[in-house]
Amino acid sequence: MAVGEEEVRHIALLARLHVTDQETEPLQRHLNDILEHFERLKGLDLVNVDPFAREDLDATPWREDVACSWEGREEALSEAPVRDGDFFRVPRILEGNDE
Amino acid sequence: MRQPGSPVIGLEIHVQVATESKLFCACSTDYIGAVPNTHVCPVCLGQPGSLPVINGRVVEYAVRTALALGARVGKSTRFHRKNYFYPDLPKAYQISQYDRPLAEGGALPIGEGENRKEIPITRLHLEEDAGKLVHSAADGRLGHSEYSLVDYNRGGVPLMEIVSEPEISTPAEAREYVATLRQLVRYLGVSDGDMEKGSLRVDANVSLTGADGKLGTKVEIKNMNSLRALERALDYEIARQADLIRKGESVRQETRHWDDGNGLTCGTRGKEEAHDYRYFPEPDLPALVLPDGFVEKQRDIMPEMPWILKERFVTDWGLSLQDAAVLTELPGLSRYVEDCVREGADPQRAANWIRTEVLRVLNEKRIGIEDFGVPAENLSPLLVKIDRGELSTTLAKTVFDRMVAEGLTALEALEKIGAPSGRLTGERLRNVIERVLEKESSAVEEIKSGKDPKGKKRGFLCGQIMREARGQADPEEVAKTLSRFLGC
Amino acid sequence: MNRLQMSAADLARAVKNREVSAAENVQASIARIEEVEGRVHALLTPLFDRALEKAAQIDQKVGKGEDPGPLAGVPVIVKDNLCMRGLKTTCGSRMLENWRPPYDASTVRFMEEAGAVILGKANMDEFAMGSSTENSAFFPTLNPWDLDRVPGGSSGGSAASVACGYAPLALGSDTGGSIRQPAAFCGVYGLKPTYGLISRYGLVAFASSLDQVGPFSRSVEDLALVLNVLAKPDPADATSSRRERPDFMTFLGKENLKGLRVGVVSEFEAYPVQPEIKEAMERVQNILREAGARFSCVNLPTTIEAGLPCYYIIAPAEASSNLARYDGVRYGLSVEARNLGDLYMKTRGRGFGAEVKRRILTGTYVLSSGYYDAYYLVALKARTKISREFKEAFQDVDMLLMPTTPTLPFRQGENVEDPIQMYLGDVFTLPVNLASLPGLSLNAGYSKTGLPVGIQLVGPQWGEGTLLAAAEAVERVLGKPACAFGGV
Ligand SMILES: [Mg+2]
Ligand SMILES: [Zn+2]
Repeated sequence: MAVGEEEVRHIALLARLHVTDQETEPLQRHLNDILEHFERLKGLDLVNVDPFAREDLDATPWREDVACSWEGREEALSEAPVRDGDFFRVPRILEGNDE
Repeated sequence: MRQPGSPVIGLEIHVQVATESKLFCACSTDYIGAVPNTHVCPVCLGQPGSLPVINGRVVEYAVRTALALGARVGKSTRFHRKNYFYPDLPKAYQISQYDRPLAEGGALPIGEGENRKEIPITRLHLEEDAGKLVHSAADGRLGHSEYSLVDYNRGGVPLMEIVSEPEISTPAEAREYVATLRQLVRYLGVSDGDMEKGSLRVDANVSLTGADGKLGTKVEIKNMNSLRALERALDYEIARQADLIRKGESVRQETRHWDDGNGLTCGTRGKEEAHDYRYFPEPDLPALVLPDGFVEKQRDIMPEMPWILKERFVTDWGLSLQDAAVLTELPGLSRYVEDCVREGADPQRAANWIRTEVLRVLNEKRIGIEDFGVPAENLSPLLVKIDRGELSTTLAKTVFDRMVAEGLTALEALEKIGAPSGRLTGERLRNVIERVLEKESSAVEEIKSGKDPKGKKRGFLCGQIMREARGQADPEEVAKTLSRFLGC
Repeated sequence: MNRLQMSAADLARAVKNREVSAAENVQASIARIEEVEGRVHALLTPLFDRALEKAAQIDQKVGKGEDPGPLAGVPVIVKDNLCMRGLKTTCGSRMLENWRPPYDASTVRFMEEAGAVILGKANMDEFAMGSSTENSAFFPTLNPWDLDRVPGGSSGGSAASVACGYAPLALGSDTGGSIRQPAAFCGVYGLKPTYGLISRYGLVAFASSLDQVGPFSRSVEDLALVLNVLAKPDPADATSSRRERPDFMTFLGKENLKGLRVGVVSEFEAYPVQPEIKEAMERVQNILREAGARFSCVNLPTTIEAGLPCYYIIAPAEASSNLARYDGVRYGLSVEARNLGDLYMKTRGRGFGAEVKRRILTGTYVLSSGYYDAYYLVALKARTKISREFKEAFQDVDMLLMPTTPTLPFRQGENVEDPIQMYLGDVFTLPVNLASLPGLSLNAGYSKTGLPVGIQLVGPQWGEGTLLAAAEAVERVLGKPACAFGGV
């Protein structure tokens, strides 16, 4: 199942990645090469195999419900590409832009 | 099979869990009114390299809620990432639960008597809240804004999402469902359930049954900030869809926003891009496993469910539904009334007094019953006295106010307001009796000469004595002492 | 002895005993860097002034008789995907070119608390995606043993730094071989620990379920020493194991390896590898056998068949989500844009290099609706099967011996246009990550042309001790890895 150019553009949109016209062709080729390589998985016998068996991991630990404040806030805000007082600022949001 | 054209409503409710700290980091959840971006840290700002660690109390509270709904709590559940881009979502994914939620099944009973109905629950899962956007336009609306500002204080606040089956049939039922659920989470103390503040948010899925009896196209409605708004929005939306169908037009699958000011739902104008959240198991969080005995322990410390209590108050005590509803609004209040009754007060008397006097004081002082200065064991004797006719209601209210103001017991308060201090006993009681007997000498004579076989005169004398004592005497002691005076 | 040849253990001892000062160590390292860096380009950000200050603090501590820690005054290089508060952490990407994290990675903190002095941040493939350090957005690092060749990657800067004697220790991260492969290419030790042994908090995520931080060194003792510092349970990382860690030094100094059962993987034996690597395998096998180890064959058919495709589905899938947060809103690159959608597209289009884009697209594709089941879910199942296969193999053996890479260091530019060819180079390393196992790459000599040859030891989970003991047995025969450029 080869991935077409349209599909590459759709995935790029899902990933919010602008790809130039020159980039599209090699990306499409590489994606298809990789997918072809994935075909090897098709031959495996995976009946009754649990996909989520990270048995090696301990159960997730629980944190105590204690609130404490963090002193790095100013540093974090100062990294904002566009800071507006206490806020991070973003350009105009077009409706329907939320996927 | 449903009637063609009948509404089918399912509700998804996001309930903010009342914890001190956020779901995956130690930042405070107290974001209302806080300076923007102060309750933040590397984790809830989505800083590269930061990792989530779950807040145990959220699990406790969610399990309690699930148990109250009779849901099956999963021993081992997991988190997923829901991927989408939006500036209020700092990691560009929301950590949520997907194929294995914390709890599944269960039901919420709504309505009374004939109208009682159980609304089945699909699932209850945990997820993190997003931050908040402030739009630059003068009207605060997205569409008119040149830019928007992001505040991550709310980002990462814990939410329980409770999803109902689409088995709600009317807007009124939907309202009742939300009201009951709100009461439940408040009753359990797991959320303040405040719709206006956004700690309880309702999304509704509405469709009308088609002519073939099958479900019609589902429309999702958001942005209803009160029970009234919910009911109005559903009324509007049902009418809108019915109208479309009548005109032979089709209902579009979409998300619509309730505009409370104009009383209508409106679709987002932009193109509805297909969602592709690319859910996959959150690799930063191993399985959420409830330790052995955990669920049982949560069950043990849970209060009796309000709907069960309510029924008990009605059938065992003969209270009205309204009385029972008010008294089971919060576990503290129902515990209080139960304590009063256990201490000897008549249930109806206790219910009346609490609904009027106690709640008045709580409202005036803006406090909860937990902080109320008059414990049940102090109030109960006062109520008993009223029932015994030892205190008029008017006097009792004065006494009650003193009890509240000064933290006194009923007897202490009675003493303070100049009623004969404490109980009249011994010498002081004998003095009162002597005075009464002097005044009522004819009755005394009749009793002494055996002309009172039914004890009517004697009863009359007792009443006179109690009145003279302003109710501050023990009727048994009065009777005994009187007998001694009369010599029979 | 030449200070640049000294191990971290010796340097720390010397500092503690006041035979040498931390400042002198740091100055010697700076001089070495200034001498060689112009040819190798291993560092993105030197931190010389800060290092001299930190060294002075260590010397003060020593002067006051306080314990300066097990790595007192030891110069260390850190891969540029580990966060250091207020200091540039670029991950080799334009996206984070000027980013200064507001917090420290736990591993950075552990190292500094132990007295280590961080000299600089090392070059790497962008977001750790690559096997040659040619994917750094800034410049490629060159192989110190042959400047026409690559140092491996993605931790190429860290590996080259240790090979050149900038420092006896460096930290890297390994998601599919990113420590072991550059260690092999640069002729030093590189250890990828069991998943969960070392905290990931503050390691900028590539693929969360596979990433581990680990050390480079030129002596086995140093690996044990630094493991003792790094391998702590970290409450900030939910995937950090809570189990108690052994004292890794206790695995050293064994007289022989009697009773050690070592497996060679039949399928890997049949895999086409360069002859000099085959020879090195035999060399190491003979040394271990001499030391008392017994050899047998094990089979890992699924691993060889499915490991590579499995990895190249799971790692990009997680990466596509982990790298979604780079959106130009909170930190890092942000490209002027008319609206939000535009901001996302342009920022991410410009900020990421070709390989990162390739993997984000692959990851997005395999998670998107319609493909999740066919690719991602299948890969997860294959991963389970691979883990089980290893687990079974470790019933019969205590350790596996395998090549680190199928080839010797390749030429700059050789694989740039053929990503699949590049990926094939990870065939022996990435199964170790898929199964959460520890893997250690050691130098087993040099090719006729003077290129280092790496051999890999792989243990069961928590089997680091076995790997250290075996590596030490080899070190005893072959000697410690040499410094490139004569070490002077
Ligand atoms: Mg939700
Ligand atoms: Zn936080």
